Amino acid sequence: MVEEKRILYEHLDVPEIHTFDVFRQHDGYACFEKAVADYQPDDIAKMVMDSGLKGRGGAGFSTGLKWSFVPKDIKPCYLCCNADESEPGTFSNRYVLEKNPHLLIEGILICCYAMGIETTYVYIRGEFTLGKKRLDAAIKAAYANGYLGKNIRGTGLNVDIYTHPGAGAYICGEETGLIESLEGKRGQPRNKPPFPAVEGVFRKPTVVQNVETLCNLPFIVGNGVEWYTKMGPTYGDARFDPPKPDPNTGTKLYCISGDVNKPGVYELELGLTCAELIEVAGGLRGEQVKAVIPGGSSAPILTHYELDTRLDFTSLTLAKSMLGSGGIIVMNETRNIVDCLLNIMKFYAHESCGQCTPCRWGTPWVRDIVQRIADGNGRKSTITRPKFGIAENGRWGDTGETEDIYEDLDLLESVANNIANVDTMTWNTICVFGIAVSWPAVSYMRKFRPEFEATIREGKLTTLSVEEATVPPEENYAYQQRIVPRELE
Amino acid sequence: MSEELIQIQNTFRFTEENQREFDALIGHYPVKEAAMLPTLHLAQKQAGYVSPAVMTYVAALLEVPLMKVKDVVTFYPMFFEEPVGEYVIRVCHTLPCALRDCKGVLAHLKAKLGTDVASETDLGKGTTPDGKFTLMKVECLASCDVAPVIMVNDDLYKNLTPEKVDEILDNL
Ligand SMILES: Cc1cc2nc3c(=O)[nH]c(=O)nc-3n(C[C@H](O)[C@H](O)[C@H](O)COP(=O)(O)O)c2cc1C
Ligand code: SF4
Ligand code: FES
Repeated sequence: MVEEKRILYEHLDVPEIHTFDVFRQHDGYACFEKAVADYQPDDIAKMVMDSGLKGRGGAGFSTGLKWSFVPKDIKPCYLCCNADESEPGTFSNRYVLEKNPHLLIEGILICCYAMGIETTYVYIRGEFTLGKKRLDAAIKAAYANGYLGKNIRGTGLNVDIYTHPGAGAYICGEETGLIESLEGKRGQPRNKPPFPAVEGVFRKPTVVQNVETLCNLPFIVGNGVEWYTKMGPTYGDARFDPPKPDPNTGTKLYCISGDVNKPGVYELELGLTCAELIEVAGGLRGEQVKAVIPGGSSAPILTHYELDTRLDFTSLTLAKSMLGSGGIIVMNETRNIVDCLLNIMKFYAHESCGQCTPCRWGTPWVRDIVQRIADGNGRKSTITRPKFGIAENGRWGDTGETEDIYEDLDLLESVANNIANVDTMTWNTICVFGIAVSWPAVSYMRKFRPEFEATIREGKLTTLSVEEATVPPEENYAYQQRIVPRELE
Repeated sequence: MSEELIQIQNTFRFTEENQREFDALIGHYPVKEAAMLPTLHLAQKQAGYVSPAVMTYVAALLEVPLMKVKDVVTFYPMFFEEPVGEYVIRVCHTLPCALRDCKGVLAHLKAKLGTDVASETDLGKGTTPDGKFTLMKVECLASCDVAPVIMVNDDLYKNLTPEKVDEILDNL
């Protein structure tokens, strides 16, 4: 079985680690001190680039690369720490905030030193009352001990950290929504470009980084790039010759919930398979895996045929899904996929910020279609149509058979794809919330089509066995197009 | 400012302690408007909900038009425009909690409190007649490993069953 590899979470369960003294006793702030003593800011930025660290908040964008976009000559520059954690199925940041807030402060200090930043805002979810209390107390203690404020520990460095509470809107996790919200407005995402790195909060260059991403920094600096890159696979991007290194380095705080025996956060090296993770989490609660959501509710679903997919950024992207926030939700054989999709679509219909018509109208529309199907009123045509496929002569064409027309399933796909097209990966919206809606809608429907059809035919929620409910690999669009990346030698 | 507005403003004012907190807050940002969310949280904590008087007061403090405050208050689900119960009970109903029977918890709460679930436009619907509780559904509270969960005011309760719910309510 794959072993847990606790790095960010190493001291998480040490009693009172949220206090300054106990954190110091466990080598707290030593990595920051090392950074300032041994390296120039540019060295740190280079180390982060070389470490291959990818953002843990959802997009998986290279942190070093993001930092390189920040113009050096425009000041002030801000750091916004994204602690809005609202993606369903994700709960790793919460534990950092509640149990080890000084680690986040240390990460922030290193980022500020590398980027010449003096002001950081931690945008923290409104519901995280304990987390905010602990972080506020930690910030206060850090000020009292000279690790924040003016001329930190005699280094000439000035850093202030302020916490900023959200107020229950999911969309404020999107980086430009977060920035708008921080400015005291509705949290509606901005058009990009300009990207926040160039023009962010208060129209100044802004680095937006997830809590977990920042918590990786002390360990990269403390233990070195070589140590860090040994963890997790580095693939070769085959579109280049010779294959370009594509790092998926480090550990990930995998959050696993749903039908497993021991749900929780498990820190593991990136790149284990979905089946292995379920094993680590105490195994399945139930008889058989029906489906797994690999990266928060926005991610396309995986069927039981796809459990060998490795849970890292590259592998999941090439399997037409995503690692996203690392929130893995497992569903067993008793679950109805139509019902699960309905739950998720209610979430998105509630959380659309309402700026773009495709999203504002399309998302509730998708929800209503799924609701109708789940209620047993899904629409199926009384006529049939010719079935296209591989014909007798071996060519694509009319098979001579007919098929039923499930109007609501066609409509569902059409509406979803008009918000954001999952095949071409183009979206008609301002932010990628649009994709987060159509990805689950289309993938659940295409991969578990028999269950949707049965529910419409029977006129009531109908749960099929895992085999019956799942489209076989030969007909699964994602499985057919999936590429399994190869590790570099 | 019209007589009427001054009147409204006189009905809400930060306590001295909150005023101090606000003074500290405002120093965190290069523009006053940015203190909107923390200021509204502070005001709501004091007043119980964001009444028109509160909005007017906050608008004056932050030197923005009243409409901008209203705009923000209506956007964010955590701000209440109507009075709510002494205890606000938030029941998470997103997928991971749904997989662990949050429906049972919600049904139990509804029966026990004898109230419906509040909607964003009608909080009164979820408030008990004695004004003690307001029951509402919320989206994922980032605690799916201990699902199903509820929040009662600022406190999170985990791994709930109907029995545990009874215990929590009895101890309030
Ligand atoms: C709809 C939506 C919601 C998001 N929610 C979060 C969130 O709750 N927390 C988070 O860290 N990132 C979230 N993101 C990703 C952020 O936009 C951004 O990519 C991230 O904070 C960047 O930090 P990173 O590079 O360290 O991951 C969300 C993105 C979208 C489109
Ligand atoms: S896609 Fe949806 S959430 Fe994103 S900006 Fe448009 S309306 Fe808002
Ligand atoms: S779904 Fe309830 S806490 Fe995440």
